[in-house]
Amino acid sequence: MPKREDIKSILVIGSGPIVIGQACEFDYSGAQACKVLKADGYRVILVNSNPATIMTDPGLADRTYVEPITPGFIESVIEKERPDALLPTLGGQTGLNAAVDLARSGVLDKYGVEMIGCDLAAIEKGEDRKMFNEAMAEIGVEVARSGYAYSVQDALDIVADLGYPVVLRPSFTLGGAGGGIAHDEEELVSIVSNGLELSPANEVLVEESIEGWKEYEMEVMRDRAGNGIIICSIENLDPMGIHTGDSITVAPAQTLSDVEYQRMRVASLAILEKIGVETGGSNVQFALNPDNGRMIVIEMNPRVSRSSALASKATGFPIAKFAAKLAVGYTLDEVVNDITKATPAAFEPSIDYCVVKVPRFAFEKFKGTDDTLTTRMKAVGEIMAIGRTFEEALGKAMRSMENGRGGLGADGKQLPGVDDPEQLRANVQRPTADRLFYLAEALRQGMTVDEAFALTKIDPFFLHRINDMIRVQENLRGTKLEEMDADALRLCKRYGMSDVQIAHLTGTTELMVRACRKILGVRPAFKTVDTCAAEFPSSTAYHYKTYDADETEVAPKTRKRAMILGAGPNRIGQGIEFDYCCVHASYALADAGYETIMVNCNPETVSTDYDTSDKLYFEPLTFEDVMDIVDVEDPDGVVVTLGGQTPLKLAQALQEAGVHIMGTSPEAIDLAEDRDRFAAIMDEMEIIYPAAGMANTFEEAVGVAKRLGFPLLVRPSYVLGGRGMAIVYNVDQLRTYMGEAAKISPDHPVYLDRFLEGAVELDLDCICDGTDVYIGGVLEHIEAAGIHSGDSSCCIPPFAMSDANVEQLRSIARRLALRLGVVGLLNIQFAVKDQIIYVIEANPRASRTVPFVSKATGVPLAKVAARVMSGEKLADMGLPADDRRLSHFSVKEAVLPFGRFPGADSVLGPEMKSTGEVMGIGPNFPAAYAKGQLAVDCSLPENGTCFISVCDRDKRSFVPIARALERLGFNLVATAGTARALISNGIECEVVGKLHEGENSIMERIASGEVHLIVNTPFGDRTRTDGYEIRTAAIRHNVSHMTTLAGAQAMVAGLEVARKRGLDVVALQDLPQWDF
Amino acid sequence: MSKLSEQLLAGTSKPTPRPAMLVLEDGAVFAGTACAAQGEVYGEICFNTALEGYLEVITDPSYAGQIITMTYPQIGNYGVSREDIQSKKPALRGLVVRDMCTTPSNWRSTMSLPEYLTKENVVAIEGVDTRALTRHVRDHGAQRAVLSTVDTDPQNLLRKVRASQSLVGQNLIPTVSIAWPEEHPLSAQYTAFLEQPQEARFKVVAYDCGAKRAILDNLVRVGCQVTVVPWDTPAEDVLAMNPDGVFLSNGPGDPDAVEGTYSQVQKLMGKLPIFGICLGHQMICKACGAQIEKLKFGHRGGNQPVMNLLTKRVEISVQNHGFGLMFPTLGELVPELSGGVTEHPADGDLRFWVERGVAPVVQNDRFGRIQLTHVNLNDGTPEGIRLLDAPTFCVQYHPEAAPGSTDSHYLFTAFARLMEGQQDYLSIDIAQDRLSGWTFGENEPVGRAAEGEVE
Repeated sequence: MPKREDIKSILVIGSGPIVIGQACEFDYSGAQACKVLKADGYRVILVNSNPATIMTDPGLADRTYVEPITPGFIESVIEKERPDALLPTLGGQTGLNAAVDLARSGVLDKYGVEMIGCDLAAIEKGEDRKMFNEAMAEIGVEVARSGYAYSVQDALDIVADLGYPVVLRPSFTLGGAGGGIAHDEEELVSIVSNGLELSPANEVLVEESIEGWKEYEMEVMRDRAGNGIIICSIENLDPMGIHTGDSITVAPAQTLSDVEYQRMRVASLAILEKIGVETGGSNVQFALNPDNGRMIVIEMNPRVSRSSALASKATGFPIAKFAAKLAVGYTLDEVVNDITKATPAAFEPSIDYCVVKVPRFAFEKFKGTDDTLTTRMKAVGEIMAIGRTFEEALGKAMRSMENGRGGLGADGKQLPGVDDPEQLRANVQRPTADRLFYLAEALRQGMTVDEAFALTKIDPFFLHRINDMIRVQENLRGTKLEEMDADALRLCKRYGMSDVQIAHLTGTTELMVRACRKILGVRPAFKTVDTCAAEFPSSTAYHYKTYDADETEVAPKTRKRAMILGAGPNRIGQGIEFDYCCVHASYALADAGYETIMVNCNPETVSTDYDTSDKLYFEPLTFEDVMDIVDVEDPDGVVVTLGGQTPLKLAQALQEAGVHIMGTSPEAIDLAEDRDRFAAIMDEMEIIYPAAGMANTFEEAVGVAKRLGFPLLVRPSYVLGGRGMAIVYNVDQLRTYMGEAAKISPDHPVYLDRFLEGAVELDLDCICDGTDVYIGGVLEHIEAAGIHSGDSSCCIPPFAMSDANVEQLRSIARRLALRLGVVGLLNIQFAVKDQIIYVIEANPRASRTVPFVSKATGVPLAKVAARVMSGEKLADMGLPADDRRLSHFSVKEAVLPFGRFPGADSVLGPEMKSTGEVMGIGPNFPAAYAKGQLAVDCSLPENGTCFISVCDRDKRSFVPIARALERLGFNLVATAGTARALISNGIECEVVGKLHEGENSIMERIASGEVHLIVNTPFGDRTRTDGYEIRTAAIRHNVSHMTTLAGAQAMVAGLEVARKRGLDVVALQDLPQWDF
Repeated sequence: MSKLSEQLLAGTSKPTPRPAMLVLEDGAVFAGTACAAQGEVYGEICFNTALEGYLEVITDPSYAGQIITMTYPQIGNYGVSREDIQSKKPALRGLVVRDMCTTPSNWRSTMSLPEYLTKENVVAIEGVDTRALTRHVRDHGAQRAVLSTVDTDPQNLLRKVRASQSLVGQNLIPTVSIAWPEEHPLSAQYTAFLEQPQEARFKVVAYDCGAKRAILDNLVRVGCQVTVVPWDTPAEDVLAMNPDGVFLSNGPGDPDAVEGTYSQVQKLMGKLPIFGICLGHQMICKACGAQIEKLKFGHRGGNQPVMNLLTKRVEISVQNHGFGLMFPTLGELVPELSGGVTEHPADGDLRFWVERGVAPVVQNDRFGRIQLTHVNLNDGTPEGIRLLDAPTFCVQYHPEAAPGSTDSHYLFTAFARLMEGQQDYLSIDIAQDRLSGWTFGENEPVGRAAEGEVE
């Protein structure tokens, strides 16, 4: 069946900001969908609040709305654009939920918009456990025995039948939020009461526990003719009980015999048919009892998912792209396999390699939270590794994590708690981010596979493979490198060992191992991901490395090549923004005539889409892996400044190995990154920076403090992303801090900077070509200094800074960029206090704000930077004047994951904690800010009760904000001290006592939904305070809350403007855009 | 492997490495280590792209005379479950894998694959870059090969392989067919997963040219009482048994050499319902006087798309054949039944008919009108035909799967419908048939009748 002609325009809803459980995989799927629909001649209208996405690039859709994904805003877009159809299945749960809201509220009917791909009934049947279970019963597929609870008592009654443990799943929550396993009544009561609140339907499913069973996923596609195919089977290494997003997973399924696999296959296809998924990709999850093969379906998602992105990367079959084509009426046999370009998409990919996905966590950022992995997803990113065997792939995976590890152990890194056998066993048993390392260590110490199985329930197949890897490592330990022959080295490589590990085990260096390997001729080969296990020739250069090296499949060089090093796994501090920059660089360098080569290991990204660059290498971003690719590709230049810290830290070693680094030289990078050298330059140029010192001991630190004065910004050296950074106000706090810093980064000094309390912070992104400097944008932070720039909201253009001040910043940036010798992007952070401008730091690389600035100004900075790196001059590029006045204001707001980490404090500080960002565009700052808040929270508190508790420092400044809140119609409630300040200023307010004091205490009122807005500004770093309790309660009960004065101020202004003038939607295409 | 390599493997799941070597007749050499029986074997090198189901592949009698390369690198992961075995004895000549698992894991497994292969005296090699080998075979075509664990001198082996017998023209059927007729009992297999068979309604005689057990089981499941007969049983003997239908099985080797079967099929056609699979399909084509060609490299795997031209539905099919029908040699097109088309497409690519949505009909000299029913969407080769003037149909691929997708299971149902005398016996919706036979309940084959619910 050909494509539908009765549809002309299609609305696509994105997934919004990056949050845990919904990351950039939906940019990958959404971008593919927009591209393919546009190519098919449809008018594509996109709504997505996340500016750091490729899909929101103005060229990808016809009409791009960077607006909050709320029914109200989407309706405005529909009213303006009048799309014929809505494609709801590509924007994750957010997109799907928004579509459901629009359908239920009658908006789609009102404007005659047809939902394509999957209709409301199918979504409901797939998502509603009750309807789903009934549907499964009708086709005879088993689900876990269960019952629904609408109260804690219901849950207790159900458990009386099922027995403990039970799995609890609140209905309709994202990524399983609020779910968990209860082993006893106490846990049950706690999880159920939390889950009932989180669930929009106020219901929690109570289910027999299948903890410890094997877990599988099937990625399924279906077209409207009814043809169904399985794209990929995935087996979880971690058994049931750990969210699949938090599990190590392996593709294809490893331990299913054919009859078991086929049974799962027909069940998957029948489930899609039964649920009524008309077309597109779906994901079906199964649990299998390892003792008797009993199979239970866990759930199905009638949309593309994180797993489908993984499956696409694992097989080379672009699920989202084809889902979009199928939604507009094509059938699978009409769509051509993208990779072979000769066979149809109606087939099931066969692969001849093993794929391992490992999640990346960030527990170190959330003190006070339990780091045990459960059914509730907590991973912030993931990596994927491809090898010919599980061993090879796992070895690669374990060195791709950007956690300093050289592989699965044997790299000289110590784990705590491995010397005591009992503690080690406990660490093997308890699923955590580091469990696999503990498992490896236990096997190293002699634990048997049987014991390991009893503790972990990880299938013995995997345990045997891991045990083999460890045995080979241990057999190698102590061997001299010069005794190694080619066979032995190759064998180590085939068991997934890195040069770093071999060096550690043989007592030499990585470079020596590399040299020795080359002399012995132990070189890797590069194979191709081709969807068909080499049965047909393929024309797509999607490669992975292996030591099955009879033949390598890299095409010979025919023109100049540029290699771009990606950003690795998403983690807090390094997210989608860097992938965005890499993708743009790839586009720009291709336009400049280069054959582009992308290297990355993050399966969620657009950069690892095989058609983003001419060639894709799915490999870890380590020196060894990158150099192996350099050896076969012979690139004319390598880009290291767009993928965040990951590639940047390789720059020096690559250059020393003879690689040409494009753009800013490693020497110049060092000049900016090395504190002392950088300070010297600023002294030379008479640029002011905060006074600073360094201390190894508490006593030294006190000495520095005396010289600089409190407060101080303190941080350990040799850590990234503001890790361990804090502000200390007195000697006591400094003492505590010095003790903790010693744990984070032992044997390294602590840096102490004069902290500029109350200063205004600004970010500036610019591009330098060695001659000229182009100021991409100046961003004024809303929160005062002391909040990590990644967590701070900011506005472009500056909303309160004077033109004169801004011009000073620009001038400093120009001088600094030229002096440092930057060729490409430079980000500078400033603080302005008492009209004095301080430079806080300069990063000679793409910053987190580049995508946002590009969207806000219409100038694609990463593309321009890539062109500059390839030798073009800014003067020749026809850029708009960089001091032009923008017609609109754009606000970036950070999205924080505290809801995922019960117990962690939500107070913002110098250590970054946000996972993603949204953008709001408006005619003035408050309107843009209000949109940003809406994009994060979905609704603004209109009126009701506002609870206020601010620290002494802020009491005076809060008065005008309180007055505005009163004017807006809020009833103010405050703690004694705050109330006194308000009342004496003539503001009416109710005084409440301590948190739990009195009949209807403030905590009870928060819990019962009587409080609609909370302002709580903390002081110091005491966590176990009343403020902490208020903030965690606000998160638990999903009440809008602000922890900074500036945030509260902006919020109030936003509320006023939104109320007075309303908030209009605007398409990027209606704002000035420049493309290159 | 070096001494140090052996030391590095100490305490792992790998046995002490013993060298083994695979040499192709064009001189390509692949070194590895032995992972099953010792010996030296000759056969045609081929590859199979199935991701799982190695045991079904290894025990498929159609692989007689062949050395199979599994393209998925790690083989043996879930061990050996006896119920999955497809024949009394593996008929392949040798096995090539990248990595052989000695420590399998699956609740049904009773032994490891290397143990099984050793017991069955199958020579196997591991450590080979099987992707390089597969690409070589793809680009240079199927050819003779030798696999040896006793002689690892490449020159010697090359000389020997060039002197070995080719598969072309060989009749391997007698080596895999049964010696005398017997009733096929339903295998004990999969009782945890499959429902009880339907009550026997039809008497079917199955020519055994090397039948996979799954085929015979599937016939039983749709209500056939199956009598298996030797490959060259005279038509008269079959007719004397007065069956409701005749089934022609899969089998190894060059179909042109199997006159003993197709000459009898010719006598049976038109007299009673006939269904053929794989070699059985080729036997029907031969009986119609058509020509069979040797494919450059065969179809072997579980993921090839086949379109049923009657229902326009795509099946993910299981394939294992090195020879194929040349469709135009069945006869001239009947334009009025072929969308007005008068000439066969010049390039032989039958996707021509897929694009037009037409199931063309030719006029056959011997049996009248024959319709093309199934086409391979990857390469446009014929995958199935039905006779319009005789109750006969056949497919080139494997509806019994084992291993692979069970999308085409409906063809067994179609055979039952043919024996019931239904005209539209082939027009079955895959989705309607999808779950038939399977059970998903708690390991109890009885009780959870999905039938009515599926429909």
